[in-house]
Amino acid sequence: MVEMVDMSVISPGIALNDFLPIFVSSALVIVFGGFYVGIYTAVKVGMFKKWAMPLAYVFWLLTAYCLYIMGSLMHVGDFTAKALGMAMIGYLLLPHAVYYMQHQVHEENDH
Amino acid sequence: MANNHLTGIGSESKQLATWYLTVAAILFGAQLLFGLVAAIQYVMPGFLFEILDFSIARMLHINALVVWMVFAMFGSVYWLLPDETGIETIGIKVGKLLFWVFTAAIVVVVLVFLFVQVGPADETTIWFITEGREYIEAPRWADIGIVVVVLGFVFNLYATGMKGNRSGIVTVIMADMLAFAGIYLAGMFFTDNITVDQYWWWWVIHLWVEATWEVYVGALAAYGLITMIGAHRKVVEMWLWIEVAMLFGSGILGMGHHYFWIGTPEYWWEIGALFSALEPLPLVAMFIHVLYDWGKTQGAQEALGKKTSVINNKPAFTWFVLNAFGNFLGAGVWGFFHTMPQVNLYTHGTQFTSAHGHLAFFGAYATILIGMMYLAVQGTNGIKVLRSTKTSIWAVSMIAGGVLGMTVALTLAGYVQVLVSRAQMGATWAGYFDGQSGMWFSQAMDWRLLMGFVTFLGFLLLAKDLLTTGKNPVHER
Repeated sequence: MVEMVDMSVISPGIALNDFLPIFVSSALVIVFGGFYVGIYTAVKVGMFKKWAMPLAYVFWLLTAYCLYIMGSLMHVGDFTAKALGMAMIGYLLLPHAVYYMQHQVHEENDH
Repeated sequence: MANNHLTGIGSESKQLATWYLTVAAILFGAQLLFGLVAAIQYVMPGFLFEILDFSIARMLHINALVVWMVFAMFGSVYWLLPDETGIETIGIKVGKLLFWVFTAAIVVVVLVFLFVQVGPADETTIWFITEGREYIEAPRWADIGIVVVVLGFVFNLYATGMKGNRSGIVTVIMADMLAFAGIYLAGMFFTDNITVDQYWWWWVIHLWVEATWEVYVGALAAYGLITMIGAHRKVVEMWLWIEVAMLFGSGILGMGHHYFWIGTPEYWWEIGALFSALEPLPLVAMFIHVLYDWGKTQGAQEALGKKTSVINNKPAFTWFVLNAFGNFLGAGVWGFFHTMPQVNLYTHGTQFTSAHGHLAFFGAYATILIGMMYLAVQGTNGIKVLRSTKTSIWAVSMIAGGVLGMTVALTLAGYVQVLVSRAQMGATWAGYFDGQSGMWFSQAMDWRLLMGFVTFLGFLLLAKDLLTTGKNPVHER
């Protein structure tokens, strides 16, 4: 049965000491991602001062770094690495696109 | 439209909604009670042995979860329909009759689960005792009954939506509920091949909770933001459509993460990895949505020189905010922990799954449905501004803290299983037991039980608050 499995997907196995960093980094991907979009949105709607905006991008960089750590320790294949890269670009662009659309709708209805 | 939800008195649809929400709350209590029994059995394996075994307690725990949420979803739809469409729900008498049929069927099913428990290995068990499918274990007669009830509910929804004002929220719910009802059919037949059988079963479980239920929650959040803080309908509805696209876009094929190890072709690894990686995006987006609307609406009010809060139902809004945050944490963080096939190989079937299940179901669904219960309390009592009480604050703190505590404990237990049962002992039979006999695992189960009690006490306070806060003079009428 072992020969039938595409080993590029599930191997090599994960080292015992790598499980904790994998779980922590994968959790931080989402947590830092949340900080990124949270700070971005809060600055845009005026809840935070404008100087906080670079902090949002710092969190996006941390998100990307954690995803890189997670993927490396998991030994992901080429396809999955590309998928994760796409997800990171999605995270970067998402708040911009959403805010732009929300703002346009607000403007259309307020004026 | 912002304050239409205050017209709950005299609406038959809203009266029916309160019936559904009341039964939902009772079933929520039952879910927690049977969960506690199962949690005690992890710590004391002999507890209620051969009276209410773990298999039965767990079955009641997870089926009560699904059923109370379905009841609360139906109730919430009946609550918002008159507000959104501007007319009384069509076919409300049929709706009321079906409510009693549904409730009676559920009572019979629970009694059979409790007192009959198992049956012979033939068709009679499938028809009259249990179908044995995790999460949707109701026997076939009840299955057919559920389909009839749901068809009646969908008819009422469509007839009302087509005759009245069909808002964006109602349109999304109409499309979503049709998918919600249709997908249930995929779990009603058996095949001889277990892989094929599981393949279809996941259509119900995954496509419910990670597609149609999430979209439904998006629609409820939109309704809540309009009614509770007076958010701009066009902005909210535009955002709802984006969420629908993102949720279906990532959620449907995200089902691949359930097909990693059940015997389906290997291409599901790539599909599952790609779309599972994208699944947190709409959850993050929903988080922004609430923050954006809250910030914009409050900011607009403050610009007019008014410092008062725009929120007219503090307890409900607290639960709605918890929903945005809990969805993000439970489905997002705890889902992403183990969604990639490389790591899921080790975590699959451990307490990691249980940790994710607890926080995701609570964060994504229980929170917003409890929020809807508070909206119903406000509406049926004609309250203009419903304020938080000490009881409501304690309830939300204890329930949220308890569930989070259970989740952390189960995560630790899962981590031990990953290391011992899977990584060190290679998923062997001996590894399975060794992973559960260590100190870390057993202490995690003790903490899970303790946090389960905290959650249950929180539920009792919630029930007290829901029953009494309507008459509390602290609210603005």
